[in-house]
Amino acid sequence: MNKRYVEIVNLVKAYPNPVGDPIRVVDGFNLNIAEGEVIGVIGHSGCGKSTVLTMTAGLNEITNGNIVVDGKEIDGPGPDRAVVFQAPCLLPWMTAAQNVMLGVKRVYPHATKRQRKDIVAYYLSLVGLADAMDKRPREMSGGMQQRVGIARAIALKPKMLLLDEPFGRLDSLTRMDLQDVILDILDREKLTTMVITHDVDEAIYMSDRICMMTNGPRARVGQVLDIPFERPRDRKAVLAHDLYYDLRGCLIDFLEKFEKKKHTDQAEEIAAPRSAKEPPISTRGDVSARDATLTNPLTLAVVSPMA
Amino acid sequence: MLTKLKHLLLKIIDLTALGFLEPIVRLCYGEEPGTQVKKIGQFMMVPVLVFLLFIMVWSAFAPRHKTKSGEVPTPAVTFDSYRSIMTFHGREGDKERAYLATGDAREKWLAEAEARLEELKPLRAEAEAAVEEAEAAHQGALTATYDPALAEYNEARQAAMEESKQRIAKLKVRAEGIAADDSAAKGELLAVYRAHTAQTANAKSDYQKLKQQADAILKAKFPQLAAARARLTRIAEEEQYLKQLVKMLSGGNREARVADGQTKLDALRAQYAGAEGAALFPLAKSINSAESRLARTAESAYAKPWTLPMQIIRSVYCVFVGFFMGSVIAIPIGVLCGLSRTFMAAMTPFIALFKPVSPIVWLPIFLIVIGGFFPDPDKHWFFTTLWNAPLIGWLKINPAFLASAATVAMCSLWATMVNTALGVASVDKDHINVARVLRLGFWPRLFKIVLPSALPLVFAGLRISLGVGWMVLIAAELLASSEGLGKFVWDQFNNGASDSFAKMVVVVFVVGIIGLLLDRIMIVFQRAVSFEGSVATV
Repeated sequence: MNKRYVEIVNLVKAYPNPVGDPIRVVDGFNLNIAEGEVIGVIGHSGCGKSTVLTMTAGLNEITNGNIVVDGKEIDGPGPDRAVVFQAPCLLPWMTAAQNVMLGVKRVYPHATKRQRKDIVAYYLSLVGLADAMDKRPREMSGGMQQRVGIARAIALKPKMLLLDEPFGRLDSLTRMDLQDVILDILDREKLTTMVITHDVDEAIYMSDRICMMTNGPRARVGQVLDIPFERPRDRKAVLAHDLYYDLRGCLIDFLEKFEKKKHTDQAEEIAAPRSAKEPPISTRGDVSARDATLTNPLTLAVVSPMA
Repeated sequence: MLTKLKHLLLKIIDLTALGFLEPIVRLCYGEEPGTQVKKIGQFMMVPVLVFLLFIMVWSAFAPRHKTKSGEVPTPAVTFDSYRSIMTFHGREGDKERAYLATGDAREKWLAEAEARLEELKPLRAEAEAAVEEAEAAHQGALTATYDPALAEYNEARQAAMEESKQRIAKLKVRAEGIAADDSAAKGELLAVYRAHTAQTANAKSDYQKLKQQADAILKAKFPQLAAARARLTRIAEEEQYLKQLVKMLSGGNREARVADGQTKLDALRAQYAGAEGAALFPLAKSINSAESRLARTAESAYAKPWTLPMQIIRSVYCVFVGFFMGSVIAIPIGVLCGLSRTFMAAMTPFIALFKPVSPIVWLPIFLIVIGGFFPDPDKHWFFTTLWNAPLIGWLKINPAFLASAATVAMCSLWATMVNTALGVASVDKDHINVARVLRLGFWPRLFKIVLPSALPLVFAGLRISLGVGWMVLIAAELLASSEGLGKFVWDQFNNGASDSFAKMVVVVFVVGIIGLLLDRIMIVFQRAVSFEGSVATV
């Protein structure tokens, strides 16, 4: 197995600032991802998690540094790095099958119509939508739409799967369902995956390693935490594991440290104007996320206030 | 099963944006009857009542305004002239069919028409008698009221003139007695003369009033007479029509004319067979011309005049031709504008410059330009092919038609162009990201992502365009003298018959209703291509 299947080296994202030095949202982000590994990226909102992901997807320009996937430096977006966004982003004038077919056509240009149809059907049944292939997005629930989004991404046979808070807009029950759907697929397809979340429990349940990011601007990797649980994972077993609360405590400590830092560093924060493209830091949101996690230790899927 | 029907009906209502029908469907299924009745009252009864109120106000105020073309027609008069338009249309259709009728059907129809003509004779006599009687009654009524009024006027006028004469005579006498240096008496004379003219003017206005009163009596409507005359006119018109019909079914019929020509030709041929020498040449000449005349007769058709329904169809056809031409130009240019800022910049001056130009300016230009392509339109293959084409041959598409359509295209394409550009330029960023991740090429990106996403706005533009086109067309037809609704209005305006005004009012409603239908059709299309979250939801 290639330990450095994906290499992110000294990644920098800077936005021009008309009144001073460019604002470096992400500065010196380094991360290696092994083949087939699931890496969770966690951090406070606005810290630059999504920026790293969109840069990896090629949708956002890289200011400095580079990203190498499977020995090739990335250059713009491509079907080798499939993205599942927070919003399902389905094309509303197409059925579920047509949405998936759009990618399948691109990736299997030489397949016959029949074969392509089978591929689409296979991936839709993988996400549990075998019966809803001909439904249009408006006839589906948010969860179902997100499943189509997942099927569309996986059907590309990507080298890397990028999940940008894929469950951020779903209710907790649907969220648990979809976590299991994705984990099933990942176990089967052994996809190298980067999943962005600000839900501690989701990060532990899904990832092999969790990369904790410091607060932006100038965000970078603060600490990387190994999650030693076996795959395939069982929710109950993970929850009951001795290590579970230690890992969780470690993550929360890290996040809390930065939470405090953010309050003490407020003067500095104000001095450095924030780029319009990054959402402003929502202190209230993060605190309540933490509070919710702390007061409901038995709930794995915490309803994020961002949802 | 029934629930399915209900859902289907509600879906259709939703698609066609006929929301006011929804409570009726729901009421039929007994769904919250109170709410539905309230909704029906709100969305159906209120508009109907307001419309009735409008009709009442119209009826009340229309007759008060007198014009050179008669009174403003009331709703009743307008409806009558609508019926007469339709009768005319029906009768012309009958005549056309009569001209082409053959064999037994012709015989039978002829018998029917003649029978009806016989039936009309006593009716006509009766109607004439009624008119005479009404006229006599009217005359009697006039002698009772008008004559005394006129006499009074004459008397007053006479008296006034007499008085005036006497005053003048007195003045003359007075003037004779004034010496050259008597300036006081001169001034007095002038003052008295001024008083005399004022008095004369007063007296004149007094007896003029009497004259007006008398005239008003003469002009006052006499409904009995009007009704009797209208009845006679109706009968006379029907008689006229039946006479023409009989002609079309007997001597004037195509079959009859062909048979007639054939016998003449046969006679000539027999003569030719028996003749010899110098007599042969003129006979050969007449046989040849008889043959060609016969062939022409066998192909001939009834020269049917344009009727309003035919003109409506031609107008609708014309607006769609223009709308189609405009859309074919506007959509691709709009797409290019939306895709490329450079192209948009290149097009902006043209859009800004030509958009505000009135159809009245475009039409003569197009008439000249199109006329240039067809120097002799009657013999040009393009038109002769169209005239012989099935279904649209009778529309007699000519350069004026094309110029009207081109004007419609030129005036209506802007809304589609601008909306298409906007739709293409404002595709959801998420959808563009999907295309980027998939690295879709230009054409798949255009057809799978950009165009479907822009379609609701494109159709919103098309809807506006069709509405504009319909308005423009009527004016264009009027100017171009291209057969259609505009030409109908212009003909009525120039015609000045007693019901011309009412016929123009009929056209107002016809144009309105057709415009409404066109808009509805476009709404259905627009709804069909809309999706959740699209900008242009109706």
